[in-house]
Amino acid sequence: MTVSSDKPKSSAALIQSRRNALRSYLGAYGFMAPAGVLVIVFFLIPVAIVLYLSVTNLASSNFTSDLAKMEFIGLKNYRTLFNDQFARKIFFNTIFYVLVTLSLFNVSLALIVSLLTTHIDRRAGFFFRALWILPRITSPVVYILIWKRMSAEAPFGILNQFNEFLGYPTYNYVATNPWVFVVVVNGFIGVSFGMIIFTSAIESIPKDLLNASLVDGSSRLQRIRYVILPLIRWPLLFVVTYQTLSLLTSFVEIQLLTDGGPGLYRTEVWSLTAYHRALSNYFGNAQWGYGSAFAVLLVMIGVVLAVIYMRVFRFDELIAEPRVEAL
Amino acid sequence: MIRKLSLTMLFALLLGLLAGFAVAQDAVSITIRCIASPPEEDWRCNNFASVEAEVEAELGIEINLNLIQDNASWGDYKNEFVLASEAGEAPDIILSGHEDIGAWAPAGFIIPLDDVIPMHSEFDDIVPSLWESHGYAGQIWGIPQDAEARPIFYSKLLLRDLGWSEEDIESLPDRVAAGEFTFADMLATAEAAIDEGVVDSGNGWWHRPSNGPDFLYYYYGHGGEVLDMEGNLVVDRDALVATYELLGGAVASGVLRSDIIGLDWSEVWHPTVGQAETVLFAAGGTWNWPNWALNYVADRGGDEYLFENIGLTLIPAMGTGKAITLTHPLTYMISSGSPHPDVALSLIAAITTPEHNNKHAIDSFHLGILNAQLESEAYANNRLLSSAHYMLDHTTSLPNHPGWNAWSGAYFLGIQAVETGEADAAGAADIAIAQMQNELGDGITVR
Repeated sequence: MTVSSDKPKSSAALIQSRRNALRSYLGAYGFMAPAGVLVIVFFLIPVAIVLYLSVTNLASSNFTSDLAKMEFIGLKNYRTLFNDQFARKIFFNTIFYVLVTLSLFNVSLALIVSLLTTHIDRRAGFFFRALWILPRITSPVVYILIWKRMSAEAPFGILNQFNEFLGYPTYNYVATNPWVFVVVVNGFIGVSFGMIIFTSAIESIPKDLLNASLVDGSSRLQRIRYVILPLIRWPLLFVVTYQTLSLLTSFVEIQLLTDGGPGLYRTEVWSLTAYHRALSNYFGNAQWGYGSAFAVLLVMIGVVLAVIYMRVFRFDELIAEPRVEAL
Repeated sequence: MIRKLSLTMLFALLLGLLAGFAVAQDAVSITIRCIASPPEEDWRCNNFASVEAEVEAELGIEINLNLIQDNASWGDYKNEFVLASEAGEAPDIILSGHEDIGAWAPAGFIIPLDDVIPMHSEFDDIVPSLWESHGYAGQIWGIPQDAEARPIFYSKLLLRDLGWSEEDIESLPDRVAAGEFTFADMLATAEAAIDEGVVDSGNGWWHRPSNGPDFLYYYYGHGGEVLDMEGNLVVDRDALVATYELLGGAVASGVLRSDIIGLDWSEVWHPTVGQAETVLFAAGGTWNWPNWALNYVADRGGDEYLFENIGLTLIPAMGTGKAITLTHPLTYMISSGSPHPDVALSLIAAITTPEHNNKHAIDSFHLGILNAQLESEAYANNRLLSSAHYMLDHTTSLPNHPGWNAWSGAYFLGIQAVETGEADAAGAADIAIAQMQNELGDGITVR
């Protein structure tokens, strides 16, 4: 009797426990649903479509939006891509562009600007940070026009007008130093993102901690090296990760400034090639399928890099709790 | 009473609206998409507005014209039509380069016009050679909107500085047409100008700073062909090497600057060439002239300044011994999605007259497409057009083929390679041919 009365009780408890578990799962998934839908609609589905396009010969001359009507050609686009005599060059251009821009500007200069502007008068710091945000909020076309007007050859360019005035030789700057301009132009835009993240991280360090280090006799440089930098380690890693992926897919400024030239793909990056192939060329017959093959490889590289960063930088710990506030 | 009056007025208003809708439903809506550099090329679409009433009367219908005209980049403009066609929202008439027939005809985005062209006598007068660039798979797919020549502009100002007499300068076009003054002579003249300090090194001759139709005439000028008799893509290696030798040699001798590709059109190329003070010879297009007159030398006298200081001639003879040019007619094509292709064609026919085409030809310095234009007073008396129309007798054109895009992209790679010194002429030809073979596979024959 006792046994029989216990059975329904434990069964009811089990059901209740399952209900609670389900409720907690539903709550968690419910909160994640909006972001999840966005990822599905704006990433997974487009990636699936691009992946499918990359195994078709879709071009302007046989264009259709009906997936069933597209001609399946297997891996032919990928064979063409890997046989392309310039694919390797474009790949290494991309690596060079991402590494140099990221290390010199998006992280290093962003950190320097953050440190400098948080160590001067607050209003002056705000003013200089606002200046550094200008490249980010300026329309890319206007921004590149400014650079072109500055760097154009004599007598049109502003820099060359100074050269002429001072009696120095004049240059076609972008043509003679295309990578310098590509990196600087993109780097000036990239600085602002890291600068905002780093500044907010530095500002959130408790003031008594910073003051304590000075009381203990550290110089300002020592305080930056031994107090601030360790405390903003996580924002640093986040900026490195985010900006790597961002640079990997950015091409608008390069397109407007050099369009991948001069010469044989001197400044062409992978994402720009995908755009050139699939969406834009002078004589019109765009190769949507072939361009999609370039895009698919870019997505794969991005996903692999993201996983590596998450593992190496232990992002699960990053999102566990706020490190700065925990101290 | 007031309430009754209000109700009556409301009823009348509703009836009026319904009647309006009924009339609007009877009207035929025609959307026309044009690409044009304002203001000199605006007649490409605006001409349709001026014949709307005429066509309405002729067909006994009401037409609602929707003209969409801007100066978008070619790549975006063409993609827009492809995507709109697939979405069922294509304009009834699209104006674009004739080479698009090679991609849009097989895609089914435009309709063949062979059966309907004879219904409009206006088309009988079109210069016969222009129809050649409108064919694909044995059919005609578009109606020529304009023609042009891509000449060499020469600075009279700088030739005078070099010691040329007025007679030498004015006779240059005739000597070029006769094959007496060849491309080699032009390069030698440019070298002499550099040696004598008339122009700086690199400014003896400029070509366009980006990919485009012009580059093909160097290949044609060396006997190269893009299509064989059956309409298949071919590439002639000897002509390719000779072309790259010419371009690379011009850079090596200092006549042509190595960074010419990539120069900004509006910031550098046009103001430099249009002012005639810096570059001796420049390969451009007839439509550059009104652009320069309006935007770059207006303060110096516009047209008068240009006539005084710039002349234009055919591309001097290269390997074939014949002076040539290249015409890239823009073409009115009718969308396969148009519910009223007959009305669309009637509108095109109505503007294919000397009166309407002259407006475009004169304002934008494009050559006429009709024989009658040559006899019309406005065209014949136009100093600029009369100095260039003969070029149509020496012209060539781009091929209409789906693979032309890949062909021209590879060809342009070779030009970039040889001009920047990244390859010699033979190496540049190897690069171009390898690229063509990789992208076109069996679709290209190397000869």
